[in-house]
Amino acid sequence: MSKDVNEMSFEESLRELEELVDMLENGGLDLDRSLDIYENAVKLRDHCRKILESSERRVQKIMETSGGIQREDI
Amino acid sequence: MASVISVSELNERAKTVLASESSINDVWVSGEISNLTRHSSGHYYFTLKDQRSEVRCTLFRGARNSLQFEPAESLKVTAFGSVDMYVARGSYQFNVMTMRRSGIGDMYLALEELKKKLRAEGLFDESRKRKLPRYPMTVGVVTSPTGAVIHDIIRVAEKRFPVNIILVPVLVQGEGAAQSISKGIELMNTQNADIMIVGRGGGSAEDLWAFNEESVARAIAASRIPVISAVGHETDFTIADMVADVRAPTPSAAAEMALPDVSSEARNIDGMMMRASRSLAACISLMNSRFVALDSKLSLKRAKEAVISESKNVNELSRRASVSVRSIMNEKNGMFRMADAKLSPRRAKDRIEQLFMELDDASAAADRSVAQMIAGRRKDMISADQRLRAVNPMNVLERGYSFVKGPDGATLVSVHQISPGSDVEITMKDGIANAKIKEVIRK
Repeated sequence: MSKDVNEMSFEESLRELEELVDMLENGGLDLDRSLDIYENAVKLRDHCRKILESSERRVQKIMETSGGIQREDI
Repeated sequence: MASVISVSELNERAKTVLASESSINDVWVSGEISNLTRHSSGHYYFTLKDQRSEVRCTLFRGARNSLQFEPAESLKVTAFGSVDMYVARGSYQFNVMTMRRSGIGDMYLALEELKKKLRAEGLFDESRKRKLPRYPMTVGVVTSPTGAVIHDIIRVAEKRFPVNIILVPVLVQGEGAAQSISKGIELMNTQNADIMIVGRGGGSAEDLWAFNEESVARAIAASRIPVISAVGHETDFTIADMVADVRAPTPSAAAEMALPDVSSEARNIDGMMMRASRSLAACISLMNSRFVALDSKLSLKRAKEAVISESKNVNELSRRASVSVRSIMNEKNGMFRMADAKLSPRRAKDRIEQLFMELDDASAAADRSVAQMIAGRRKDMISADQRLRAVNPMNVLERGYSFVKGPDGATLVSVHQISPGSDVEITMKDGIANAKIKEVIRK
């Protein structure tokens, strides 16, 4: 995998996961490689799930003032 | 022409001429209402006048009912309709189909002009519309801080998909609203949002008017971030809606368009993982049959070494496979938790029972397909090992057996590897024979 899974967006993870599943389904891989791919798929799946379950979303309000852009949580 | 016609005929002819003249049919006429009478049938009769002229008007009950206001004496209006002949009197009248209060009427005319101009510039072109990102991380919202839009997007985000929300609070109606909205769109474009919702909840045509202003249309058109418009209700259609990449009929529909549904995403991921484990199981089973095919080709010494090292691998593989199976079960549990949080207690109970059954099925299937495959493979290898220890392959050939290789050089283990006409190579104890397959009979 080119990128650290935890750095990936949901969309990237999902795309990567789709690719890995396609690779597995197309076959022609040796067992070790297949298991490596499967393990990576599990990591991506866990990462996607973590994003879906995360409750850390922020709701912020921004306003432009004479002193620049102001932010506050709402 | 010498023929003589009746008065009725004259008026009928005049009526036909008037009805076919496009310059006096389906026109907007502005004037002031006077001599208003309301008939018991529900029809209205009045005179529409300006400084120099007047015309008799009819407003039939059906048309009256579609008006947003009660016609009244001295009211300045813009009326839409056609000229018609009242045959009995020989006088013409204006049949009003709909009517707007002036001021508002002028606004609508200006709106049509603006639409024409923006359309000519290509601002409404389908080719300009961008696709919305499927999984936004941050949703920008340009709206009133107290209105339906921000309320709905927060509610839907909690239910459907976790995103960060950035609100740029703006005035959505009244003096300065258009400028506030367009500035808000520009400010949002300095932020790291993947998608933007611009709009407000329902209101009268005047309340929504800021979204028909040119500055708002231009700000939307210039936005780097794809825009969903959500102005008023289903039936309200503003210029902002025509310029936006996507028009949502209501604020909560906008939120639903912007955000994917968490439970369907979880199901999608679950489906992919099931495909992955099925493929893995198939791969293990294929490896297994290859191993069996290969073992007769190996020398006794190399086969022994291979078996010993493969046995070590098998321990490792079966450990990894059981980790994978456990994580499939964990995932099922995770889905169950998400579903549980979303549903009402009674529906949740049904859903949970359903999920438990799915969980049993999935874990049993995964268990069979992965763990048992590996266990089976280990057994095969132990028996292969025993066979190889006991029987030197060359001795087998001494006893009158031979092995057959296909056109690709692989040892044949199945009639599925060959077909009539295939060239094969038969190895016996003292040499090789080349042969051609005449017939394949499957058991």
